[in-house]
Amino acid sequence: MTRPFILSAAIADPQLAVPATAAAWLDAAEAAGLDLLHFGEAGARPFDAQVLVAWAAPLTKRVGLVACVPASNAHPFHVARALSAVDFLCSGRTAWSVVPEGASEGMAEDMIGAARALWDGWGSDTLILDKTGGRYLDAAKVKASNYEGPFFKVAGPVNAMRPLVGQPLLVTYEAAPLAITDADIALVASPQKAAGATKTLLKITFETPLEEIAQHFAEGVIDGVHLSLTDPLAELPALAQRFAALVAANPGGAGNLRERLGLPLPATASNQPDGAKIPEIA
Amino acid sequence: MMTKQIHLWAFLQGIGFYPTGWKHPRARPEGVFSMDYYRSVAKLVEKGRFDAIVFGDQLQSRGAGGRTPERMAMPTLDPVSLLTAMSAVTEHVGLVATISTTYNTPEMLAERFAAMERITGGRSGWNIVTSAHPDTAPNFGEAELPPKDTRYSHAAEVVDKACELWAAMDRAGPRLPQGRPVLVQAGQSPAGRDFAARTAEAIFCPAASIEAGIDFRNDLRSRIAGLGRNPDGTRIMPGLSCVLGGSEEEAKANHKAIMDLADVALAIEYLSESLCCDLTPFDPEAPLPVAAIIANTLLPKSDVERMVASAAEKGTSLRDYAMNFMLHPRGHNVFIGTPEQMADMMISWRDAGACDGFTLQPSYMPGGLEDFVGEVVPILQKKGRYRTEYPGNSLRETLGLPAFARADA
Ligand SMILES: Cc1cc2nc3c(=O)[nH]c(=O)nc-3n(C[C@H](O)[C@H](O)[C@H](O)COP(=O)(O)O)c2cc1C
Repeated sequence: MTRPFILSAAIADPQLAVPATAAAWLDAAEAAGLDLLHFGEAGARPFDAQVLVAWAAPLTKRVGLVACVPASNAHPFHVARALSAVDFLCSGRTAWSVVPEGASEGMAEDMIGAARALWDGWGSDTLILDKTGGRYLDAAKVKASNYEGPFFKVAGPVNAMRPLVGQPLLVTYEAAPLAITDADIALVASPQKAAGATKTLLKITFETPLEEIAQHFAEGVIDGVHLSLTDPLAELPALAQRFAALVAANPGGAGNLRERLGLPLPATASNQPDGAKIPEIA
Repeated sequence: MMTKQIHLWAFLQGIGFYPTGWKHPRARPEGVFSMDYYRSVAKLVEKGRFDAIVFGDQLQSRGAGGRTPERMAMPTLDPVSLLTAMSAVTEHVGLVATISTTYNTPEMLAERFAAMERITGGRSGWNIVTSAHPDTAPNFGEAELPPKDTRYSHAAEVVDKACELWAAMDRAGPRLPQGRPVLVQAGQSPAGRDFAARTAEAIFCPAASIEAGIDFRNDLRSRIAGLGRNPDGTRIMPGLSCVLGGSEEEAKANHKAIMDLADVALAIEYLSESLCCDLTPFDPEAPLPVAAIIANTLLPKSDVERMVASAAEKGTSLRDYAMNFMLHPRGHNVFIGTPEQMADMMISWRDAGACDGFTLQPSYMPGGLEDFVGEVVPILQKKGRYRTEYPGNSLRETLGLPAFARADA
């Protein structure tokens, strides 16, 4: 598969919580072919993003939905449940970031560890849904999480099927660093491959020279770009236009966000290679 | 005088009211993991002109310490996420999410509801619960659930603090369309009723008979009046499930078909969950193992002793007790009959002052909801006892409650 050029943008305007405005912005994000839309980001979090991504789920088809979660005002049990539900509602397009602002040192990392353990409680093939035989699930494939970190102690698991993306994609910010070595995506300010993430996105403005971006991408230093939006209706179409040549070779269609962005499922004991399965009922 | 109108809520957690419901041919247990299901169900509820969709919620992990039930379908997806997604594909129906005051800080839940209230355009409600299951505590780093009185006094503080936070968020903007979510409560004990009387704008409760409904509503209304609040400002919405048929015989046969989906293993799992004690190792044909239940249950032992007292006396077998227990889930009224009879029953409860309306608990999903909306709603409408259009956009308007009085208005 060709390596996709990832287009990412953040909206941290409180008006994203107002339905008429939000609907127009979501449409613009879809029309621009955006791969990731961040609901808030480090330093700018004027709403509960976990709620807004649920609202966006049925109104979008392709864009990845990134919920920016505050370590200081959330609990991993609630976060894990919320994002696992959202992942079903959007058919596998969920991502998240955890911002450490205002939280004790290490709390964000602890939240990530706990939530990941909770997502791994059910195996990819735990659900059976056999109406005739009467078995709803395979209890042998449900594991207590028993996570114990410095801040959070969570028995688990979450009482629902694991997310379709295995675990929601984890995004980290160079500007709000975490001691995490296995994030999916890192946002960096200067073109340098991030050490702790599979993919690196360069934070840009419209002034960043396009040729330089193309070269960094060709050399494998970055995997795409990220822009913090201030006027989404104007900037999203401009973003699409500016990067049209670079995204031209990307795989099309909707589909599971990990597959589309070339990010493997986390290899955990309960995660099967082809992801969570909801059995079909004849 | 205008005839008393009936309010309706749709309680949609899980795959229906009956533990066997998920096995019904018209149940879609796979649907609860897809947006298509929530989209079609939300639109159906709105077509039926319900005030609101309600999701209960539980924060305990099933089988964390012991055995996970295999035969029960109890997916507990996050209610705020499901309801908020449903709001995006509807225009009027209210969305009532259950959130625990014991395991959320006021800051956490106030932020969640502020977002939900704004993005739903003023259609949010909060079913305030304190979490009653002892297995909840280990998901939050604690060994034990606090005692009930402590939970309720803490709940009152959490609600007050959340209201302060909403007032500040409302002032800061964007506005919270209703000022704050509609406050809903479901509590049974005297402490629970006092809390509801002080706080609730709507109450969800069990009432197995019309008499029980009248008693509960009178009791709550006098508690509310005793606190200087107007009792007409609180809607009382007992649970109601149903199995319909073209004739009484057909309805009974349909009910029997749901019951026949039960197997003993499922019944014993359901009883184990309800008594917080694993009964699967016991011989179904032997008498209910009362001593072991009392010794091992995680619930308050006196509550469980009361529940099993008569079985203990009669020596009822585990099988018979479990199968019978499954016939009456959660103490709600179950109607079995024709749509016409059901409409008449609902009107008689309303006229007798047994309720302001009902929290419909479809016996299985989505088939049970389809039947009710298709067959009972039009009768209630024809009789002039149920709305044909929504009166406005906010949940408060839909419930016929006065606008929330903002302190800064
Ligand atoms: C009809 C009804 C529905 C309830 N739904 C929930 C629920 O979804 N989640 C929950 O944690 N508690 C739920 N509760 C529990 C109550 O909030 C309360 O904690 C419990 O009933 C114990 O208090 P009480 O003795 O005052 O009733 C419900 C209670 C009733 C009566």
